[in-house]
Amino acid sequence: MRKGELLAYSADGLPGYTKVPSLAVFPGSADEVIAVVRELASQKAAFVPRGAGTGLSGGALADDVVLLGLNRLRRILSVDPVNQFAVVEPGVVNTVLSREVAVHGLHYAPDPSSQAACTIGGNVAENAGGPHCLKYGVTLNHVLAVRAVLPDGEVHTFGSPAGEEDGYDLLGAFVGSEGCFGVALDITVKLQRNPQAIRTLLADFTSIPAAARAVSAIIAQGILPAALEMMDSATIRAVEASIYAAGYPVDAAAVLLIELDGFEGGLEDDLNAVVALCNDAGARSVRVAKDDAERAKLWQGRKKAFGAMGRVSPHLVVQDAVVPRTKLPSVLEDIHAISSRYRVKVCNVFHAGDGNLHPNIGYDAHDADESSRVHEAMREIMQLCISVGGSITGEHGVGIDKLAYMDQLFTPATLTAMCDLRSVFDPDRRSNPGKVVPVRSCREWTMAPAARAHAG
Amino acid sequence: MLADTIRDARARRQGLRIVAGQSWLDAGRPVDATHTLSVAESRGIIEYVPGDLTLTARAGTSIAELYEATRAHGQWLPLDPWGVDTGTLGATITTATPGPHAHAMGLPRDVVLGLEFVSGAGDTIRAGGRVVKNVAGFDLTRLVIGSWGTLGVVTEVTVRLRARPQSMRTLLLQPRADAAALNELAVKLRALPFTPLAAELVNAGLAMRLGVAKAAALIVRLGGNDVSVARQLDLLRALGPFDDAADAVWGALRQADAGSIASWRWAALPSAFGDTWVAADAAAQRLGDAGVSGSAMRGVVRVSARSLHDIPQVMKTVQAFPGSVVLEKLPAGAWQFVRPRAHDTLHGMLRRRFDPDGVLNPGIMGMMP
Repeated sequence: MRKGELLAYSADGLPGYTKVPSLAVFPGSADEVIAVVRELASQKAAFVPRGAGTGLSGGALADDVVLLGLNRLRRILSVDPVNQFAVVEPGVVNTVLSREVAVHGLHYAPDPSSQAACTIGGNVAENAGGPHCLKYGVTLNHVLAVRAVLPDGEVHTFGSPAGEEDGYDLLGAFVGSEGCFGVALDITVKLQRNPQAIRTLLADFTSIPAAARAVSAIIAQGILPAALEMMDSATIRAVEASIYAAGYPVDAAAVLLIELDGFEGGLEDDLNAVVALCNDAGARSVRVAKDDAERAKLWQGRKKAFGAMGRVSPHLVVQDAVVPRTKLPSVLEDIHAISSRYRVKVCNVFHAGDGNLHPNIGYDAHDADESSRVHEAMREIMQLCISVGGSITGEHGVGIDKLAYMDQLFTPATLTAMCDLRSVFDPDRRSNPGKVVPVRSCREWTMAPAARAHAG
Repeated sequence: MLADTIRDARARRQGLRIVAGQSWLDAGRPVDATHTLSVAESRGIIEYVPGDLTLTARAGTSIAELYEATRAHGQWLPLDPWGVDTGTLGATITTATPGPHAHAMGLPRDVVLGLEFVSGAGDTIRAGGRVVKNVAGFDLTRLVIGSWGTLGVVTEVTVRLRARPQSMRTLLLQPRADAAALNELAVKLRALPFTPLAAELVNAGLAMRLGVAKAAALIVRLGGNDVSVARQLDLLRALGPFDDAADAVWGALRQADAGSIASWRWAALPSAFGDTWVAADAAAQRLGDAGVSGSAMRGVVRVSARSLHDIPQVMKTVQAFPGSVVLEKLPAGAWQFVRPRAHDTLHGMLRRRFDPDGVLNPGIMGMMP
């Protein structure tokens, strides 16, 4: 492959980083994947598995090592509608699976914003989330089994469709391992029954703390919405100025997009309770979508919010952090203070029901001064989230983007234990080298000279 | 200090039997240890923020204490392990025991957000976190859940909680208990437009012990707001003549397990629930007063026996099951009839990484030291 062609694979969803792979390989079947991984093993060559390259933490960047593209493995191998699971190849696109099983009244529940492009294999690697994970759980909760080729070329099966297994939870360890433990060949996922009824509403607030209070009140009341999303005024204005305009009130300080779904019986009562809680918290108005078209429009604004921000500035950092839900009001105020201090523009659009923040900053990566202010603001926001007992990533993964925060979140002993776990799957650290756990934490560079040589 | 005890044991190459509430002492393979390491005194809730629906407690905290504390806030610990409620949070997590509500509320692996453990090397490791969504780093939390203390001694656990539903109803049906009828019933239950909190089939022996029926009975628990539960009830009754039952049956069902000397789980696909059930019931009948309970939603059936005779034959039957077999508890003399684990090399490598000298519960999972 010519160098120019390799440039097509030099970036993923994380802006500001370009890494050119030494070679890009696109096997067309599980057997070919195994053959490629075995050849890489025999040459002790490092590699980076890649799905659709939509990841937001730089996990699919291959820095002068082999890029192993899995997007040609896009067959749905089997669907069991009675037992509600499907076996798919890693390159199957998230929404394609849901579309294919819709005939059975089923869908695949995890729904990251990139779901129209991202693959199930990538979702498994990142333990991807999405708005509806509040009620239905993240990827981990939906994967029953994975057949994977480990970096040494051996094929293992973790988990089973029956859902119970004796022994260590290797499936749990594999899901979310960011491509560092091996390459999934086929994945057995649970399929969720389509809800009998869905009600979507938009609540409009004149202050962010009021919206945050509504979130807390709903959670505390014991109502479990399918999704509970917040967008601040900067996000609303970006969305409304774009082709994804959803009819959000542009003068609102924040809106909550709330979806209730499931059994029809009693859903209306939950809806009324949510409306009342929003009103109690100070909502200016609450609008319930009248039909599927209005519902789809409300969601389009949310799902395409990142795209809409692209209009505002050339580059966008899509951040990801988690805080305890009761800390949302104070954390959002503190984020506002940080952004003012660094003169950067934070757009908050996030999974409020889980406390999973996405403070995004639009900027121009070619402006050195602005880039450095963005970087500093992000660092403070991450530290803020850690200081209130939160996490540095809820669904995007560590990749290379969050490496610097790992030793603020975890003790040296814990990071060493993560390295130990990695060593069991990949003793030579050839699979996605240099990601997830900082090199210095596990002395990986001194332990794996072969990988270092190849990783350049 | 617990870490010091482990390091001492390591230096002396002494095996440690990890204990807490003592309710699981006879579970797992016989442990070859001369000393005991108890976390029973390490109990109590460390942090409980009802508004976050999360709770952190020390490993020796009893399930009963957690039920009580969460109930006071209208919340629920979504763990319901078999056995008495003096059993501990630590044991529930390290044995990964799923109860009747696991289909609706998740397995222990779905409920735990983070934990602290001390490895066999004496290192204190804090896995995961206290927030409900977290993908930072490799998942040591899932690794330790269900590891029976062999990778580390769990000292602290953070779990996600549920709000208690506004309304709950417990119903009971005495179904035709042949394989075909039960397969059909399980499929119908899974096809309902709502998810029951639990749908557990119990055999005649267990039903009589619970005082709910004289034959096999399906006990279903519904939850939601008042309107929802009323509508759920209508749909459920369309599947058969369900009678009301006392909600207290759920606690009694778990605790009926006390006194058992052998228990195992068989898991197959939910659509084969009836076949799994009939096979388990037949095996139980040969064991006298064994209790059988099965999750019609998950397809998992559990046998719990108070006596075990003709051990070689029973063990042959148990292991011949064509799905997943999880052996929880057996008399010491029965393990010799259990086939060695077919575990791949990864299990041994993990064990050696986290417990290099094999001091933690040596032998309990049937692999090296």
